[in-house]
Amino acid sequence: MISPTFANQLRTPEDRRTFIERCAKISFGLSVLPFFSRVADAAEKQGAAVPNAGLPGFGKAKRVIFLELAGGMSHIDTFDPKKGESKGPGTPIPTRADFQLTSYLPETAGVADKITVIRSMTAKVGVHASAAYLMRTGFERRGTVQHPTLGAWAQHYLGGSHKTLPSSVAINRSANHGNGWFPASHSPLPILSPEDGLMNTKSVESEEVQAKRAELLIALDAGFGKKAADENVKAYNEFYDTTFQLMKSTDLKAFDLNSETKETRARYGKSKFGQGCLLARRLVENGVRFVEVSSGGWDMHKTLDDSMADRGGEFDHVFATLIEDLEARGLLDSTLVAVTTEFGRKPEFVGGGRGHHPLVFSTVLAGGGVKRGYVHGTSDAKGYGPEKDPVTVGNFHATIAHAAGLPVEQEILTPAGRPMVIGNKGKPVLGIFA
Amino acid sequence: MRHLRAFPLSLLTLGLLICQGQPALGAAKKPESKAVHKEEKANPPVITKVTPVAEIARQSAIWHQWTDLEGRKVDAMFCAYSKDFITIQTKGGKTFQFNVNILIPEDREFAVACAGKDKEAAFSPAVITAAAADVDRLIQAVLASKEQKPNPLATDEQFLRRIYVDAIGRVPTAEEANEFLNDAAGNKRAKLIDKLVYSPGYTMQMFNWMADLLRVKDTFGKAVPAFTFEDWLKSRIASNAPWDQVVKEMVTADGRLTDNGAAGFMLFDADMPLDGVSNLMTTFLGTNMACAQCHDHPLAEWKQRDFFQMASFFGATDGKNEGIARQIQSTLKADPTLSKNVVVKIGLVNSYRLEDQSKNSLTFPKDYKYKDAKPSSPVSPVLITWEKNDAKLPIYKLDTTHPSQLRDEFARWLVSPQNPRFATNIANRLWKKAFGLAVLEPVVDIDDLSQASSPELLAHLTSVMKAARFDLREFQRVIYNSRTYQSGASVTPDLAKGPYLFNGPLVRRLTAEQAWDSFVVNSIGTNADNILLRRSDVLMAYSLPDGKVSAAVIHKVIDSINKTGKGKSMADGKKTGGGSSMGLATGYEGEKPVTRFSMIMARASELPQPASESHFLRLFGQGDRLLTDSATNDGSVPQVLQMMNGSIGKLVSDPTGVAIGTALKSKATDGPIHSLYLSYLSRHPTPVELAAAQKGLANGLHLADLAWVLANTREFLFIQ
Repeated sequence: MISPTFANQLRTPEDRRTFIERCAKISFGLSVLPFFSRVADAAEKQGAAVPNAGLPGFGKAKRVIFLELAGGMSHIDTFDPKKGESKGPGTPIPTRADFQLTSYLPETAGVADKITVIRSMTAKVGVHASAAYLMRTGFERRGTVQHPTLGAWAQHYLGGSHKTLPSSVAINRSANHGNGWFPASHSPLPILSPEDGLMNTKSVESEEVQAKRAELLIALDAGFGKKAADENVKAYNEFYDTTFQLMKSTDLKAFDLNSETKETRARYGKSKFGQGCLLARRLVENGVRFVEVSSGGWDMHKTLDDSMADRGGEFDHVFATLIEDLEARGLLDSTLVAVTTEFGRKPEFVGGGRGHHPLVFSTVLAGGGVKRGYVHGTSDAKGYGPEKDPVTVGNFHATIAHAAGLPVEQEILTPAGRPMVIGNKGKPVLGIFA
Repeated sequence: MRHLRAFPLSLLTLGLLICQGQPALGAAKKPESKAVHKEEKANPPVITKVTPVAEIARQSAIWHQWTDLEGRKVDAMFCAYSKDFITIQTKGGKTFQFNVNILIPEDREFAVACAGKDKEAAFSPAVITAAAADVDRLIQAVLASKEQKPNPLATDEQFLRRIYVDAIGRVPTAEEANEFLNDAAGNKRAKLIDKLVYSPGYTMQMFNWMADLLRVKDTFGKAVPAFTFEDWLKSRIASNAPWDQVVKEMVTADGRLTDNGAAGFMLFDADMPLDGVSNLMTTFLGTNMACAQCHDHPLAEWKQRDFFQMASFFGATDGKNEGIARQIQSTLKADPTLSKNVVVKIGLVNSYRLEDQSKNSLTFPKDYKYKDAKPSSPVSPVLITWEKNDAKLPIYKLDTTHPSQLRDEFARWLVSPQNPRFATNIANRLWKKAFGLAVLEPVVDIDDLSQASSPELLAHLTSVMKAARFDLREFQRVIYNSRTYQSGASVTPDLAKGPYLFNGPLVRRLTAEQAWDSFVVNSIGTNADNILLRRSDVLMAYSLPDGKVSAAVIHKVIDSINKTGKGKSMADGKKTGGGSSMGLATGYEGEKPVTRFSMIMARASELPQPASESHFLRLFGQGDRLLTDSATNDGSVPQVLQMMNGSIGKLVSDPTGVAIGTALKSKATDGPIHSLYLSYLSRHPTPVELAAAQKGLANGLHLADLAWVLANTREFLFIQ
C-alpha cells in the first residue's frame, strides 16, 4: 500500500542517522552535523517507529503547496455559502461535486470534484499576526520560542528534498524564521517576486577572481566566526555555505518562469499570486518539497463585494488552474495543495463587509491522497460556529504532516530542551483520505 | 509651493522638506501643555530637568524673519542646525533644510544661538552621568544577585561602530572612524554620543525605527497615498518634538492627509476602526487587547467589555466621509470627459478624513455573550486600569460628556506622565533598540510589570523618560552614556533558560536600513545624510478646496496637475514620481541623488516606504508595514546572492565609490587596507588579517575585491 518513501527508510534509528548525516554532508556542509546528530539521538531515545505509518493516506503527498490567503477569507462568501441573514452579496452555485460554492468561485466550482473542503475549522485567535502565525506553524505564538513551518518539520524528518535546491520555498512573502528552532538551512528560501525568481545566481566576476575572493573571504571571516558563537551569526555562516552550493547547482532553472511557455504563463494570469502558483508548480516538479504562496488583501471589512470580485476572482482562476495543471501533469495525486487563511469572517454583514471571526472558517485540501469532491465537517446554519467534526489548526497541520509521511506523534526536543510535536499534538483527520 | 515665494527653489542648495498643513508647532496646544506640567507635579519625577525655559522654548513657536544674501525673506521657526545645514519650518508647516551660508551674517549668528539654546534643553552632563550611573547600579545589583558580572568594557572600535549605527543609523566612514580612534580626550565617548545625536543622521535613524512601529507606508488601504504623514513625522523628529506631543498630534488629528500629515496614523485603520483602537493600545501602551475585541482575553484580565469601553472614545470619530466619496463618484459618472484614474485618486485623497461627530455610535456587538452588557447596546467610554489605584489618579478624571471631544480627552490621558504605561512603553522599546532586547518582553504586552527581567530597572527608565519630558533624544543619551551600553556584547541568549540580565548589549544583525545606509555612505560619502527626498507635493496636488465637490473644481485640479506636472505620475498609474525609487530620482526637488547600478543613492528614510519588494531593503527584512513591528532580521539565500552577485556586490566593488577612493588616497604602508577595514568594519586589521589581505592583493586581487570581501564578512553584518 505504501510506496517506499524516505520516511520508510528512516524507520530504523541506524537508517535515520546515516541518512541525516549524508544529507547534511551533501547539502549543507559539515557545520550543521553536530546539531543533526543531536536531534537524531533525541529521536532514537523516543523510539523511532512511526505509529501513524500504517494509517490511510500516510506518505501519499510527496510535495505540498501551501497557499496563504492573508487577511482572513470569509468562509460564508467562498466555500461555505449560507442562506438567510448571513448570506452575503454572492449567491450559492452548483459545482461538479455534490456541494455548493458561492458565485465568486465559478472556476473552482469546475474543479470541485477534485478537492476536499473543510467547513469546520475552528480557532480562538482573531488577530491578524497571531492568527497567521498559528496557521503557518500550527502553534500559538509564545514569547520565547519560534515554531517551524511544516516544510522545516519535513526537512527535519525526511532530510533535504533535493541535492542542491532548497527543501522549502516561500513565495510572495519573507521567510520570517520559518525554520523555527531548526538550523537556518531549514529556512524557506524567500522569493518576493515570482517574475524575478531567484536573482543574482551568477557571479559577475570571472571564475578565477571569484575563487580568489571566496578564498580571501574565508580567511578574513575566520576571526569573527571563531569569536562570535552567536546563533544568528552561525545562521549566516550556513546561508553562505548553502549559497555557494546552490550557485553550483544545475537545477536553478526551476526558479525561472521564463522557461515556461507563453501560453502557460498567460493561463495562470498576470497577478503575483498567479505567477507565484505557477512558480510553485515548477518548483515542486523539480524537487522542492514544500512551497508557500501568499496572497494579500483578504481583510474585507468594507467593500467585500468589490474585493471578492477582484481578489476572490483572481484566487478562483489561479486555484482552479493550478489544480487542473497538476492533474494534467499527473502530479495531483502526489501533490497536496492546501488553501489556508487566518480566520473566517462574521455572519453579520455590516457596512459592506464582515469582521474577523476565528470560531469557524473553511480551508481546502486537494490532491496528495485526499478524497475528491468531498466536504468534511459543517458549520451551523448561520456560519457562526462549527457544528459537526470540528478541526483545529493543530489537527489540520497533523493531517498535512500525515499525508507527507511525517511521524505526527513523535516528540522531539528543541535545542533548548523543550519537547515538541507537530501541530502541537494535533491529530490527523483520517476521514478525508481516499 | 505657495509658502516659498520668498525663498526661490534655486536657493535651496540641498533637499527640500515639505510638510503641508501641519499646525504651527505647539501654538494651538499651549494651554494643554501647561496642564501636563501641572500633572507632572502631582507625580514628581526622580530627576529634575535643568532648564524649564528650554522646555517652553521647545513647545512654543518662535517666529523669526530669515533673510538671505540676496535680500529675500521668509517667516519661519528654527528647527535644527547641524554641520552647516539649518532646518526651519514656515507657518504654513513646510520645513526646509539648506546650507546656512546663504543667510545674512546676523541670521547665521541667530541660527547658532538657536542651536545653542536647543542644546540647553538637554540634560546637563551631570544629570546624564547620574542617570546613567543609576542604570548601571541597578543592573549590577541584579547581576551580582545571580553571581554574574557585566561584560568587560567594549573596545573603542566596537563602541564606535555600535554608537554610529544606533545613533545615526549607519557605520562610520574611514575618516570618521579615524577621527574618533585618534582622539586622545578622556571623555571622547561622551563627546561622540553628543556629536551624533545632534546630527542629521539622527533624524533618519529615528524615522526608520518609528516607521516600523507606526506602520509608515506610502499608501494605505486601497492605494490612498500618505506621503504627508511621512514628511510630517520627519519634520517632528528633526525638530525633536517630544514623544507625548507627537503621539497626541497623531491621535487627535483632524481632516485629510492633505490638511494634516499627522492624520496618517489614525487614517491607516479608517476602514476598520476597532482594529485601529487595539493597534493604538499596543503601539503606545504595550497592552495587547486585540483578543478582547472578540471575546474576554483567555490569559490576561481584559474583558471584551473593557475593549469596547476604550473603543468608545473613538465611537464618534469617522475616518471616511462617504458623502464626499459618493459626490465625487457621481460627478465622474455625469462627466465622461473626466479621467477615471485621476478622479478615483481625488476621491480617495479627499474622502478619507478624520471627523468627530456629535453622536457616539459605538454599540456592543450583536453576538455579545457576557452578562455585563446587552448585545447591540450603546457603549460608554471608560478607561482601563492596570492597578487597583489607577482610577484614583487625577488624569483618570476625563470629561466624557461631549462625544465630539472624546478623542481629545482620551489623548490627554494617553500621553500623560500619569498614564500607568505610556512612559514605560516607550522607555522599554527604546531600551530594546539599544540593547537588542527589552527589559520586559514582548514589548507588545507589558501589562504585568513584575515580569520584567528587572522591574527596578524598568521603573528607573520610566522615571528617566518622564524627567526627560518624553524627549527621546535625551533619554537615549542617558542610555548611550551608561557603562552597560558601553560593555562588550553578549551572544543571543536562550530566554527559555531564564531572563537575560544585561551583562551588555546583544550581538545584533544590522537592520535592513542600517546595512543599506552603510553601503550608501561608503559609496557616496557623508553627504548622504543631507539628501532629503520629499513627496508631499505629489499628494497635495489632489486636494480639493475643502468641502467643494463639483465638476468644475475637479476639472481645475486636473488642469493644475497637468500643468505643473505635480502628481501626474500618480495619476497615470505609472509608478514614477511618488511610486518607485527610479521615479523619485526625477520626481523630487532639491539636490539630485545619483544612481548606481539602478539604485538611488539616498538613505532608506528618503526612499519609498517601504521599498519595493525586490529592493535590498526588503530582502534584508524591512517590514511591509501592514502590521506594527513587521521588520525581521533573519537571513536567507537571496540575501547572500544579492551581497555576492547582485547590485550591492557590484556597488561595494565599484572603484568610484568613496570607501575605495579614500583607501586609494592613503600613502602609508598598507594604508589602503587599513582604510577599507575602517570603512567596513570600523577597526584596523589584525596582523594575521593584514597578511591575508596583502597576499590576496599580491595574488591579483584589487582593492575593489577586498572591499567586496569585507562587505561579505559576517562581521560587517553584525554589531558587537
